[in-house]
Amino acid sequence: MSKHSALNTFGRSGNPAFTRNFDNAGAIPHTERMTLDGAVNKTSILLALCFGGAFVGWNIPALTIPSLIIGMILGFVTIFRSPAKAGATAPFYAAVEGIALGGITMFAEMQYPGIGIQAIGLTFGILASLLFCYKSGIIKPTENFRLMLFSATMGIFLLYLVSFIMSFFGSGIGFIHSNGLFGIGFSVFVVGIAALNLVLDFDFIEEGAEQGLPKYMEWYGAFSLMVTLVWLYIEILRLLMKLRSR
Amino acid sequence: MTTILFSLLAVFSLFVFHNLGKVKASKKQMDRENRIKWGRNRKPNVQQNRDGSKIIEGQAEEVDGDSKK
Repeated sequence: MSKHSALNTFGRSGNPAFTRNFDNAGAIPHTERMTLDGAVNKTSILLALCFGGAFVGWNIPALTIPSLIIGMILGFVTIFRSPAKAGATAPFYAAVEGIALGGITMFAEMQYPGIGIQAIGLTFGILASLLFCYKSGIIKPTENFRLMLFSATMGIFLLYLVSFIMSFFGSGIGFIHSNGLFGIGFSVFVVGIAALNLVLDFDFIEEGAEQGLPKYMEWYGAFSLMVTLVWLYIEILRLLMKLRSR
Repeated sequence: MTTILFSLLAVFSLFVFHNLGKVKASKKQMDRENRIKWGRNRKPNVQQNRDGSKIIEGQAEEVDGDSKK
């Protein structure tokens, strides 16, 4: 049995957006192939849309809950539909998630002034430093690295799911939301896992450009990076709120 | 004031990402054997025949006894 056969069974990345494979990369005309510049441009477009959405959400906080739900639906639609259609849904996903994040940040700012700037600064600080570490080869993602991240991400997802279901019965997993040492430690761990998922996103985009995947995979790579960034931002905000509430 | 700060930080972050993102990864990163194989070198779909011989999908060919070589 292959050492990494679990990857074939459970998917190839911690990020569910990456469960698609690289088939049929060879027979694509040169002009219709994915490039690094194209993927970065499209990620920048999504980030700009997210910032625009955040401005709207900040000023109209009533849109926070509806946009969270719509954003989640759009995210699942983009993941489970054909990657060729990511270009149609990813911009809407980014804008809607931006509205949700703007509202969430506004509520956090009301409780803890200055927390939004700290969270955005930390998120993009982590993005820039991990991008530098990846480009320079300081961090080298391997199959074991991916398997470890996949396991940890799925574990966190299941824990959140169980906690969410338990909340309907008036119970829950206390330490996830507590501001005690264990709760803060858990948040630090989740932030670390979310941050390391960025490395997988970078590797997917670099590899996709090198392999000459279809052009639409630029949107798919950009969308995957956005999903991870949104997750990272929310987890950093949660961590900062726990620290400030002590 | 907060909106201005947010906007400045957003524009700065976009600028940094846009420039740093377009730099190609170093050879140290790209040219190594233990890279993640995002779908490369996938195992072919191997099926087993009744007599124990293996058929590899995409490679098997029906051979007609009358066909010319």
